Amino acid sequence: MNRKTSLRSAMALLVVASLTLVGIQPAQAAKTQVTIWSYGNVIEPWGEQEYERLHPTIDLKIKKNSMDANHQSLITAFKANTTPDIAAIEVSYSGFFRSYPKYFTNLAGLLNENDYLDWRWDQGVGIDGKVIGIPTDVGGLQVAYRKDLFKAHGLPTDREAVGKLWPTWQAFINTGKTYVSKLSTAEKASCKTKKVCYGFIDNAGTMYPAILNQGAKKYYESNGTLIYNSNANVKTAFTTTATAMNSGISTRINQFTSDWNAGMMKGVFATVLAPAWMLDYIKQQAKSTSGKWDVADLPGGGGNLGGSQLSVPAAAKHPAEAKAFIKWYLSPAIQLQIFKRYGLFPSASSLYNDPALTGYKDKFFSNAPIGQIYVTGARQLRPIFEGKNQRAIDNYFGQALAKVAVGKMTASAAWSDAITQISKNIKN
Amino acid sequence: MSNTADSLAAPKKRRPTNVFKSENPHKPEKPKRSKRSDRRKNTENGIKALNPNWGYAFVAPFFVMFLIFGLAPVIYSIWIAFYNWDPLGDEQQFYGLTNFTDLIVDENFWIALRNTFSIWFFSTIPQMIMAIGLASILRNPRLKGATFWRTILLVPNITSVLAIAIVFGQLFGRDFGLVNLALTYLGMPSHIDWISEPLPSHIAIATMITWRWLGYNALIFLASMLAIPSYLYESADLDGASKWQQFRYITLPQLRNTITFVLIVGTIGGLQVFAEPLTLGGNMSGGDSRQFSTLTLFLYEQAFVNNRWGYAAAIGIFITIIVMIISAINFAITRRISSEDNKN
Repeated sequence: MNRKTSLRSAMALLVVASLTLVGIQPAQAAKTQVTIWSYGNVIEPWGEQEYERLHPTIDLKIKKNSMDANHQSLITAFKANTTPDIAAIEVSYSGFFRSYPKYFTNLAGLLNENDYLDWRWDQGVGIDGKVIGIPTDVGGLQVAYRKDLFKAHGLPTDREAVGKLWPTWQAFINTGKTYVSKLSTAEKASCKTKKVCYGFIDNAGTMYPAILNQGAKKYYESNGTLIYNSNANVKTAFTTTATAMNSGISTRINQFTSDWNAGMMKGVFATVLAPAWMLDYIKQQAKSTSGKWDVADLPGGGGNLGGSQLSVPAAAKHPAEAKAFIKWYLSPAIQLQIFKRYGLFPSASSLYNDPALTGYKDKFFSNAPIGQIYVTGARQLRPIFEGKNQRAIDNYFGQALAKVAVGKMTASAAWSDAITQISKNIKN
Repeated sequence: MSNTADSLAAPKKRRPTNVFKSENPHKPEKPKRSKRSDRRKNTENGIKALNPNWGYAFVAPFFVMFLIFGLAPVIYSIWIAFYNWDPLGDEQQFYGLTNFTDLIVDENFWIALRNTFSIWFFSTIPQMIMAIGLASILRNPRLKGATFWRTILLVPNITSVLAIAIVFGQLFGRDFGLVNLALTYLGMPSHIDWISEPLPSHIAIATMITWRWLGYNALIFLASMLAIPSYLYESADLDGASKWQQFRYITLPQLRNTITFVLIVGTIGGLQVFAEPLTLGGNMSGGDSRQFSTLTLFLYEQAFVNNRWGYAAAIGIFITIIVMIISAINFAITRRISSEDNKN
């Protein structure tokens, strides 16, 4: 009887609560709702709150999705004219969307092009020269490593010395082999029984995009011709990654899984190829390892992974308000604020001499001059053409490499497998 | 006038069958039957005055909706299956039958088909056995708090698939997952890589599906178990049949139609498995080496990752054909079962 009453009152409460929620909504309708489709941490909470505080008549409605799903729903939204006012687009999809500039509003002149890294700016320019997106952050890519584990396995811990260990990717693999050879017998045995696989790097597969992005070209010539099977840069990235996979330095844990989070905390791996935006993730997930991490240079020069742009679709309902938000949120001054709060590395190169950026340090990463390290890395990067079906091609190379990682295929068999798959599946 | 005549004629047409049934000497519940048919006749008389054309108006909303949201997309997707269709492009290239011939020789399609049936098998068969078992337990009149248990069975079913996939993704982690931890305690020598290897990954996904649908199917079995007349069990008791014999020779045969129903619904769901493998793998390919790519996931990948809408449409048509074949098999089995019923 008593249980029934409490259940009933709980139900009543639920009904009342849902009614109230429904009731509140029309009250906010007086504000202009600017809808944003986003993923990950492109629009940081501080930016949202601060903008709404400065503009009380604007209500930013952010719909977060997973990265791939965000872009896939955009395609259908374009077809159905149900686009948001602002769409976040990741660089691996920018090649696709810039092939269809007619679906976007021209953002030329909204912000000063000269304030931004030129190659990053170009990723948001449509094939007809229309500015369809403005860059948010630059991935930047460096090596985050565990000092305590390096010391325990006979490697130097000082970031200068660590950077010198691996001028090339082959040297990086060799360092990994040294590290793995010094694992305790128990740790080595652990992987044979497939319990916990200890290794040098979390996942050797992450080397592939890192090496690929250091080249001048990827899968496309700048006129759109496919060159994935003839470009030496692709082959080098593929074979080097396959070599790393076969050398036993990788724990083969997939990034952003629970095993990865746990492994980071428990010291299962000693290095992660970390874009600037990942540092915050490491900090949040492995709080107890504070001070044990440091950041060193990436093998083979500067690197990049990820980064986004904000676009205003042609079918946006509030284009003026959308543009106003982009103008504010992506201005160099706010990019600096976002970097300080969340570590998203700015695409505004006008900040790269700003002491607030270059002098930025983080206790979690042993006070490494993170700002300086990522600035140097970003400056070394050359522009690289992102083609239309790049994301799909990336997938097929990734799948082929995964077969190497689990020992199902040799590197050369996997290469020809990937080439066949791509030629069969990439049609337009 | 003619309308009134029609409606008058309708009950007349039915009358002979009713008469025949009530006069059938072999039917034991003869008096009951005639009562029920009386009631039916009354209702028919009640509607008689209504113009039967109104019926079309009442069913029209469904058919309008079906034409717009059901049939039109079907025709459209058949249309684009003959093109190399670029979703956002302006000009589409006519492909003829290329998409279909490509599909037949596409190994990834056959891998997806194999995975779909493997996951279907691991999720449907054990689930059915467990559901019948659960229903038998819930059927026990001595069980305390029966309503509570019956309600709680439905909780997994209303949980979001995404949340289930995230939790199960953690349970099935290779290095630090709880499942491997538990298996190690039970004496298993090495960890199973639940995500990267085909068979374990199918079992992991099947577990997710089973967890979600087990309670629902148990309730369906329970409902049809409660409909079995209790005198059958009473007379079996008198004849000295054991509990197992009662289950084997009364409960199971009486559940035959329900089993077919659950199997058909499970097969339809099984061919559409999508969210579980998508969330478990985190990509559209169904794991790094397509180890758990399913038919619908493969369709989605071709449409939204490779931007081949024409090819995806062709896959959709193939899935339809497969569903039709399976439905035909199901239909044949159901018909055989019902004819066996008549023999009894």
